[in-house]
Amino acid sequence: MSEIVVTGIGIISAIGNGLEQTVDSLLRGKSAVGTIRYLQTKHKEIPAGEVPYSDEQLRKMLDIAPDCNITRTSLLGQVALKEALKTAQLTEKQSFKIALIAGNTVGGMEKSEQYYHHFLNDEEYKEYIGLHDCGACTEMIANGIAFDFDLTTTISTACSSAANSIMLGADLIKTGRADIAVAGGTECLSKFHLNGFNSLMILDNEVCKPFDKNRRGLNLGEGAAFLVLETAESAARRGVQPICRLSGYANRCDAFHQTASSPNGEGAFLAMKNALEAAGLTPTDIDYINAHGTGTPNNDESEGHALMRIFGDKVPPISSTKAFTGHTTSASGAIEAVISILCLTRGFIPANLNFSEKIESLNFSPVTEVHTNQNLRHILTNSFGFGGNDSSCIFSKIG
Amino acid sequence: MSVYIQSASHISIQEPLSEKWFTEPQIPEENFNLSIEPDYKQFIAPIEARRMGKLLKRAVTTSADALRKGGCEMPDAIITGTGLGCIENTEKFLNAMLDNDEECMPPTAFMQSTHNTISSQVALTLKCHGYNCTYSQQGFSFDSALLDAFMQFQLGRIGTALVEGHDEMSPDYYRMLGKIGYWKKEAANTEILREGCGVGSISGSSSVAILLSNKLNNNTLCEIKNIITLHCPDNSEIKTALENLLSESGITMNDIDAIVTGLSGDEANDAVYKEVAANCFNGKPLVWYKHIFGESFCASAFGIYIGATIISKGFIPEHLLYKSEKEIKNVSNILIYNHFQNKNHSLTLLQTVKG
Repeated sequence: MSEIVVTGIGIISAIGNGLEQTVDSLLRGKSAVGTIRYLQTKHKEIPAGEVPYSDEQLRKMLDIAPDCNITRTSLLGQVALKEALKTAQLTEKQSFKIALIAGNTVGGMEKSEQYYHHFLNDEEYKEYIGLHDCGACTEMIANGIAFDFDLTTTISTACSSAANSIMLGADLIKTGRADIAVAGGTECLSKFHLNGFNSLMILDNEVCKPFDKNRRGLNLGEGAAFLVLETAESAARRGVQPICRLSGYANRCDAFHQTASSPNGEGAFLAMKNALEAAGLTPTDIDYINAHGTGTPNNDESEGHALMRIFGDKVPPISSTKAFTGHTTSASGAIEAVISILCLTRGFIPANLNFSEKIESLNFSPVTEVHTNQNLRHILTNSFGFGGNDSSCIFSKIG
Repeated sequence: MSVYIQSASHISIQEPLSEKWFTEPQIPEENFNLSIEPDYKQFIAPIEARRMGKLLKRAVTTSADALRKGGCEMPDAIITGTGLGCIENTEKFLNAMLDNDEECMPPTAFMQSTHNTISSQVALTLKCHGYNCTYSQQGFSFDSALLDAFMQFQLGRIGTALVEGHDEMSPDYYRMLGKIGYWKKEAANTEILREGCGVGSISGSSSVAILLSNKLNNNTLCEIKNIITLHCPDNSEIKTALENLLSESGITMNDIDAIVTGLSGDEANDAVYKEVAANCFNGKPLVWYKHIFGESFCASAFGIYIGATIISKGFIPEHLLYKSEKEIKNVSNILIYNHFQNKNHSLTLLQTVKG
């Protein structure tokens, strides 16, 4: 079966717009989780990883007219998608079939929650009614691109949405339904999400501490990232240098609880195990793990136990980058895939910020300082969603 | 590699968990139609049912019914399409947030609001650790789920899959969608919908679970030969895709008995079907179903369910034919054509497995 390579990546999150700003922030070890500026909520005491641009600034960046109706989720998506297409040298449509797969969870909710009373009671803002659903957000992202996609669809598996989008993209190529798949995810902050996670009492009032014994919860973030996937042959035909390989991936279900993860991390264990099998790798081949590591007591312990079941007492260097960006929910699978790819190609391991004490039941601690000049061959990245939708992807160096 | 539809189950505005719609459909008299709820006690313990929203109950029940009918205990994959997810819980949480100014929020409504709650609730009930995914692409959500399932079979990763479509319609969402032309303004009936003038259709609610397998058994309804998807295609692209779909199965348009369509009474929606029919379908009879099941984001799941039911029964009753024609007998090949707002399109070929 043909090998799937990555030929383009694009990213926007609280730590930066684009690949260079993202790398710079990760190397400097500075969290971008802080006080909410743009989201209109009364819970300003809850910190979050907000992208440092207003909707107006994002529109300007994208050259979108003020009277064009578009949600923030789609604005972020367009920014990341355009960078991914540019790095893949995909500016115009040629004779290939190209698919767009985007993950998102609450669609246009950030606008719906502002205009909801109008939706119900008068005619104002009614154009946004049709932009509420997840699929509409993906169509709005596609509309910003000069050429037509041959397939658009949206995956909504909560916090693993983008990881599952990447998998679907690869499967579309493997089955010959697409030559190129652009896959990722996008999600902006919304009052709905902030209050939802808050109602579950899993938000930390300070910057989160993934894998720390005294971790108290997660910080929400926002952003978008996309990957351009194709076969090595397709990349060669287009004269584009592959960045890395997508060597393995798997999606499994924890089937334990609607929102909590099982104590032994069964879903996570199966996802990682099957991803390794698909890649034809053994656990010792993995040089770095970008963990899901949300900072909630439940996730980190469950993920930790799943990791120990796979890696035994030799858990590779591991960090969660969520203290940098916040948990970007539906986008996180793609944001962390792009971060992993940047680590792979530029040879660094980012720090797991705010760690001080090991979780007692685990046999490993995360990396606390940034490591540069690393020769990383294979990186595993985890994305776990509510409902036990657990997915793992492995990215590998070319050659 | 072959993919078969083993069984299917629905809860909708027709008699639930039943095929009565095939011979004696209830004709909707309102534009806003609620699902008819079955007795859930057979399928879900009352203590569990109390914790589940309506859509989750329907998903668990249709899944259990499809698995039982198909003789499968544990599917290898559960893949769901839903345009709006659990919209009643979403509204409950949203209203609480707006009314209480972001205080005292109900966690259960939030937990049961995410789209993937449906597929994961089915997995949770079955204790199924296999592939689990959820698609939300408007009127192409179920089509996306079916496409994914088909690929998982092609890639040899699964032997069975539950493919589902679930959407509920709340009174508030109905009103909102009415403002952007989703529904007829006046009470519509089959004849008005058939005329296809002006905007809108009638609303429905869809919960459909379909069991797929790569092995034939005595209950198999039909084979799915392939599903082809297109985005914003012109007529010639549809024609080429259709020719490829038919030729790879060794048949021509002459072998197709009828085309199942999403004709709904909405003028712009119907115009696309009529134009494609004129250019690509050689005057073959058109089947419709939204006049009895109503319109919803996952209505296309009924397209596949109805196509499979027609093939297994071998005939098309008069009431499913868009133009008044006599019942069609000896049916063996059905094409299902769906589009959403002329953006996402799909073509699916179903074929009999008998003799």
